[in-house]
Amino acid sequence: MDEKGPAVDPTRIGQIVERYCDQRWPLIPLLQEIQNEFGYIPPEAIEPVANALSMFPSQVQGVITFYEQLYTKPRGKKVVRVCRGTACHVRGGKTILKLAKQHLGVEEGQTTPDLEYTLDTVACIGVCAMAPNMVIGKQTHGHLNPKKVSQLLGRTGDARG
Amino acid sequence: METITITLNGREVSGHPGMTVLELASESGVRIPTLCNDPHLAPFGACRICLVEDERSGALMASCVTPIAPGMVVNTESPRVLERRRAIVKLMLASHPDSCLVCDKGNRCELRRIAADASVGLVDLQRISQPALIKEVNPFLERDLSKCILCAKCIRADHELVVEGVIDYIERGFASKPATLNDTSLEESDCTFCGTCVAFCPTGALMEKDSPYRGTTTTAVATVCPSCGCGCGISLEVKDNKIVRCRPDMDSPVNGGTLCVRGSYGYDFVHSEDRLTQPLIKANGSLRETSWEEALDFAAAGLKRVAEAHGPGSLAVVGSPKCTNEENYLLQRLARCALGTNNIDNGSRLYSAASCQGLGWNLGSPGTTNTLENLEQSDVILVVGTDPASSAPLVGYAIKRAVRQRGARLIMADPRRTKLSTFAFLCLRPRVGTDVALLNGLARSIVEENLLDEEFVTRRTDNFEAFRRGLDQYIPAWVEQATGVPERELSSAARMFATAKRASIVFGRGLTQQSTGTDAVMALANLAMLTGNIGHGSGGVYALQDDCNGQGACDMGVVPAFLPGYQSVDDPQAVKRFAARWGPFSPSGPGLTAVEMIQQANAGKIKAMYIVGENPAATFPHLGLVRESLRSLDFLVVQDLFLTETARLATVVLPAASFAEKEGTFTSFEGRVQALRKAIDPLGSSLPDWQIVLHLAKRLGHPMPYTSLEAIMDEIEELVPFYHGAGYAGAAGKGFDRSELEASPHGAKRLHKGQFPTGFGRFSSVHYVPAKGTAGDGYPFSLITGTSLYRFGGGSRSSRATRLIRFLPEAAIEIGRGDASRLGIASGDRVRIISPTAEISAPVRITDTLSDAMLYMPSAFPQSPVNALFGVDLDPQSKTPAMEACRVRLERID
Ligand code: SF4
Ligand code: SF4
Ligand code: SF4
Ligand code: FES
Repeated sequence: MDEKGPAVDPTRIGQIVERYCDQRWPLIPLLQEIQNEFGYIPPEAIEPVANALSMFPSQVQGVITFYEQLYTKPRGKKVVRVCRGTACHVRGGKTILKLAKQHLGVEEGQTTPDLEYTLDTVACIGVCAMAPNMVIGKQTHGHLNPKKVSQLLGRTGDARG
Repeated sequence: METITITLNGREVSGHPGMTVLELASESGVRIPTLCNDPHLAPFGACRICLVEDERSGALMASCVTPIAPGMVVNTESPRVLERRRAIVKLMLASHPDSCLVCDKGNRCELRRIAADASVGLVDLQRISQPALIKEVNPFLERDLSKCILCAKCIRADHELVVEGVIDYIERGFASKPATLNDTSLEESDCTFCGTCVAFCPTGALMEKDSPYRGTTTTAVATVCPSCGCGCGISLEVKDNKIVRCRPDMDSPVNGGTLCVRGSYGYDFVHSEDRLTQPLIKANGSLRETSWEEALDFAAAGLKRVAEAHGPGSLAVVGSPKCTNEENYLLQRLARCALGTNNIDNGSRLYSAASCQGLGWNLGSPGTTNTLENLEQSDVILVVGTDPASSAPLVGYAIKRAVRQRGARLIMADPRRTKLSTFAFLCLRPRVGTDVALLNGLARSIVEENLLDEEFVTRRTDNFEAFRRGLDQYIPAWVEQATGVPERELSSAARMFATAKRASIVFGRGLTQQSTGTDAVMALANLAMLTGNIGHGSGGVYALQDDCNGQGACDMGVVPAFLPGYQSVDDPQAVKRFAARWGPFSPSGPGLTAVEMIQQANAGKIKAMYIVGENPAATFPHLGLVRESLRSLDFLVVQDLFLTETARLATVVLPAASFAEKEGTFTSFEGRVQALRKAIDPLGSSLPDWQIVLHLAKRLGHPMPYTSLEAIMDEIEELVPFYHGAGYAGAAGKGFDRSELEASPHGAKRLHKGQFPTGFGRFSSVHYVPAKGTAGDGYPFSLITGTSLYRFGGGSRSSRATRLIRFLPEAAIEIGRGDASRLGIASGDRVRIISPTAEISAPVRITDTLSDAMLYMPSAFPQSPVNALFGVDLDPQSKTPAMEACRVRLERID
C-alpha cells in the first residue's frame, strides 16, 4: 500500500518554521504545530526544521520517531484504537483487532488509502468492565462482538482494496 | 587549586572539582569497566556498566557521570556492584546474537571482555529479536545492528567530533537503533566514511569492511597519517608484515579520536602489487631489474657525467612533500654539496609556495601562525579558496565544531558552494580569481568604518599608511563589480570579521594556485594584521597543506632560494654557517623552481634530473610539455614507490619505502613536528629515501657522515632556527619521544607572543589584476580544480588505494544545471574538455553548487589529469603555476 501522503506545500512549512527560529527550545512545539497543520510530520519538513534550528536532519528524525504522539505518516480522519489490555484480551480483544484489520484492510499502525481511518492499538483505556473495547475518534465502544464491529467499521460500498 | 578528597576502595585519593568518579579512579589506577564512556566524548551515562556503590548511602551510581564530592566513600567492586553489573551484562547479551566465535571484532570486543570479567556466559533470558545486517555496498564499513548495545558512541562521535550528523537514534524502545535519515544505507546518506564511529564502537555492530585479517593483531604502531597536511595520529595494526587495519591513535593530541576516509581506509596503497621492489635501469629503451649496487653506481655516474660535460647548473633535483624532514634535508645537501646546484625544489611549489612567500614577507613566518586548537576557539572564521572538508578534513571538523558547539560564525568565500557552506553564516561567492579585490574590499570597509585594531597596527606593524592609501579604489560598489559579491554582503562580512574578539583566516590551494597567489596571501595577511589577529590569544592565519610534509620540505630548504630554515642562499653568513658543517659548497644565487626546471629542460639547459617522490609527468600543469621535457633529458633518476608516469621516463628507478616502513619526522600544517614510526619492514628490497640519498651522496664523492637518523635530527635542530627547542632533537639517543616532540607546534611558538620574528609585521599594498583570457575567446567556461576527499597527494598513491578507487573510480566534471541544459548534457554523459593547452575526457555530473560558466573537476586522478589542461602561467613572485582556474570548452562525446 502506498502510504505517501498528499502533496505538501513547502512554503507553508517555511512559514511555520520561521516563526519558531528564535525561540529557545523550539523543536517540540514546532513539530507539534507542523503536525497540527498537516495531520502528521511530512518528511519534507525535516530538512527545513533542521536547518532553521542548526540541527542535523537525523537528529530531528530521532526526536520525531521517539515520541509516540508525533506521526511520520498521514493519519486517517478517525483513529481506531483497539484495546489490548488484559481484560479485553481475555474477552476476545485479539479477534476484535483481527476483524478491525479485515474491515479496514490495513495492518496495525496503518492508514486506509482514502485517509479515513488509522488503525492503532492501545494498552488499556480504563473501561475494563465493558471489555472488549475500542475507541473510534473520541468515542469509546464497549461490549464488542463481530456484528458490532462490522456495524462500526463495515464500510459498505466504498472502494478500498 | 582546590582539591576534593574521597575514599576509593578504602584508599584516600584527591582530585579537582568537576572530575567524575570514573576519571579520578582511572587516574588513581583503579579500573572501572565502561561501555558508553570515552574521554573524547561528552559523558552520557547510558550503559550503567560503570556502576559503583556509595558506601554511605548504599546508592549505586554511574561513575562516568557522577562528579566527586567531598567525603564520598566509593566502592567499585562491592558485591552489589558486581551483581548488578552482571545483571546488566546479561540483559545486553539477551538481545545480542551468540556470534562471538565468528564475529570479526574478536578479542577487541569490549562487551565480550566485560562479560568475561563478570563471568557471564550464555544467557538464559528470553531472546529479543534484533535487526539484521544492513545491506551496504560501500567498500569501507558495514553495520550489523543486531550487535548494537545502544551506547550511542557512534552517534556522539558523529555529532560531537566529526560533526557530520549522519546517524541518530530512530524509534524508541526495543526498535530503537542508530540510523541515517529515512533509515537508508550509508551510501545514500551524507556519510563521509571517516570511520570514526567504527573506531568508537565497542562491539561488532560497526566494522571495517573486507578487513584483510579478521583476527586481533598483537602489534599496533602509532605513527602519522601520510594523506594530508593535518598530521593526524594513526595506529597501524600489523600482522605478518602487513598493515591490516588503521584506526585513530587515541592518544594523539592532534585528532582527538577522529580520522577521515583517507586516513582510515587509504593505507592499502602500501601493499599494492604495483610497488617497486627492485631498482630498475634502462637498457635498450626498456627498464630492467638490477641490484642496488649497479643502480646506484649507474645513477651516480650518469649525474657526474652530465655535471662534467655541462656544468652543475645543468642538473636539477626535485624533493617531495611526502618525504620526511630528514630526507628532504639530506636531499638538499646532496643537491648543494654533491651536485653543486641550487636547482632544488619540491612539489608543494604547486600550491603552497605563494603562502610561504606571502606570509613570509608580511608576517615573517612562512606558514600557519596558530594552532588548530586556537582555530576552534575563534569567534569568526573566514575560509578562502579551500574546501577544508575535502582538502584537510581535520580542519573541517574543527571549523564545524566551532560553529555548532561554540556558536562561531563562519564566512565562506568560495566561487563554489561546498558541504561546509551549510554551516556558514555568510557565503560570499566571488568570481574565480578575484580574491585580491575581495580581501582588499574587506580591508577598506574595516578601515573606513574605523573597526581596525589601532593599538596593534601602531605598535606591532609598519607601512600602514601606504597600505591604507592603496585601498582607496576598493569601494564596495567597485568591489561588487569586480567580484560579484553584493555590497551588503561585503560590508556585513567586514563588520563581522573586524568586531570578533578572535577572527581566523583559513586558506588553501584555491587561493595560492592562482597567478596572483602571493598577492592574495599578502592581502589576507594584511587583513589579519589590520584586525590584530596575529599572535597570542588571537585568531590567526592558517595555511592548509595538501601533503603530509609540504611545510617540512620547505622548512628543510628543498627550495631554490633558501637553505634550511629560510636562510637565504645569498646570505654569506648563512652559507658560512652551513659550510662549517657540510664543507665548502659552491652554488650561489637562487636556483630554478620546479616548473622552471621543466621549462629549462625543454630549452635544453637542464640535462639531468633527480626526482624523489614526485610525479611531474602526471601532476604538473601542461603535461604535454612536461613529458616532452623529461624525455629530452640526458639522464633522469626517479625514486618512488611505484613505476609512476615519471618513473617510466627514467634512466634509473630507485625503489623507495613507504611511510609505514620508515622513521623520521613530518611537520604538519600547524608546524607540529611529529615522529613517524616503522610499522613494517620495507617491501622487497626497497629502502627508505634517506638511506638511498646517503648511498648516492657517497658515490657522488660527497659522503655524509651521519650514522643514524638522530644524527641528522641533531644537525637540523642546530642549524634550523625554529626547530630549536621544539623538543625536536631531544629525541636523539632515546628514540622518538612523541610527547616531547608534539608539545609545541613550532609555528605556534613562533608567533605566540605577538612578536613578529622580524619585530614588526609589514603591510604590503597589493592590487587586483583581472585574469587573462576572456569569455569571448572560444573557451566559455572557467574550470576550477580542488581536492577530492577520496584521493590525496598527486594521486599516485591514492589511485592504488583499492577501497578509495572502488568507491570513486574516476573523476567527474561538475557543471551547473543551467549550463548543462543549454548544452544538452545529462549526468553521466562523457565530454571532451578542451583548453588552449590540451584536452581530456570525463563523465559529467550536474550540480547545484556552481554558478553559470563555471566547471569543477578534482585533481589527483591520473587517468583524467585535469592539470594537463592548464598552461604554464607562473605567479611572478612565487613561481607557482596558476592551476586554480583555466578556460575551457566542452564537447559531448556521443
Ligand atoms: S563514518 Fe563518519 S560520517 Fe559516516 S556515520 Fe560514521 S562518523 Fe558519521
Ligand atoms: S553501533 Fe556500536 S557505537 Fe553505535 S550505539 Fe551501537 S554499540 Fe554503540
Ligand atoms: S588525510 Fe588528513 S585529515 Fe584525513 S586522517 Fe589523514 S591527516 Fe587526518
Ligand atoms: S560507562 Fe558509565 S554509564 Fe556507560
